[in-house]
Amino acid sequence: MPASAPEPLSALHGVAAPGRHAVGGEAPLTLRERRPSLAMLLARKARARDVAAAVQRRFGLALPAPGRAAAAQDASAIWTQPDGWLLSADGAAARDFAGAVKSAVGDAGSVVDQTHGKAVLLLTGAPARRVLATGCRIDLHPRVFAPGRSAVTQIAHIDCILRQVDAAPGYELIVPSSLAEAFYGWLTHAASAYGYEVLAPA
Amino acid sequence: MHRIDCPWCGLRDEIEFAYRGDATVRRPPADAGIDAFYEYVYLRDNPRGWHVEWWHHAAGCRQWIKVVRHTTTHAIHATAKADEDMQVPRS
Repeated sequence: MPASAPEPLSALHGVAAPGRHAVGGEAPLTLRERRPSLAMLLARKARARDVAAAVQRRFGLALPAPGRAAAAQDASAIWTQPDGWLLSADGAAARDFAGAVKSAVGDAGSVVDQTHGKAVLLLTGAPARRVLATGCRIDLHPRVFAPGRSAVTQIAHIDCILRQVDAAPGYELIVPSSLAEAFYGWLTHAASAYGYEVLAPA
Repeated sequence: MHRIDCPWCGLRDEIEFAYRGDATVRRPPADAGIDAFYEYVYLRDNPRGWHVEWWHHAAGCRQWIKVVRHTTTHAIHATAKADEDMQVPRS
């Protein structure tokens, strides 16, 4: 994107407005929009090793195995399909992130910028598992799904990439930006049974 | 509701998959003639019993997988990646 182009608005701009939606004074859940740069990376035929080596060299990031996510200083990755990952970066590393990934992997992989194709929400708090269980068919019990695990699935009939980020538990939910408002509506409806606070985007 | 054990993603609900037909059909050679291609494109067996099928994990890892499913009980005997050969159970 040229430096002169205006910063595009997030799909959740004006939707995920900060505020407390408490039940009996309690708001045990927090909901925060995240705005990382996103890039889909697919290894070309028989080039998965080259892609993994290039990403390791450039970002110090070991591309994760199926059902896993991995994070390093400047980038993180979620496995999305065989030889395919969704990469993300925040802060200074987010600048022309897809370009940086492409220049790292060269002709070993294909890279598509997904920054404005997807919306990212972080749901954190003790009832988060029960909230997601009302629309997610993945077993999120800590015995089988812990920090570092990820899944590509549907939540409330909307395609969703799910990653557990901590044991609070906190979950990162990545949905198509065109369905972000509908997803946000479902998520806040599900969370309203417990009370939640929407924090400013980070 | 089936629960299908995707070789990549693990056990997932049927809602994430699309049924894509008989996985034992093989494309005939290019010079096999019109009858062979008519059969390949249009004709399918409709067995009562075990069936090796394609299922597309459309809402997950996007891969086509093979599933050995019983067409009357809906029991799933095995699942595998697309390039594996699958045998139906004897019973």
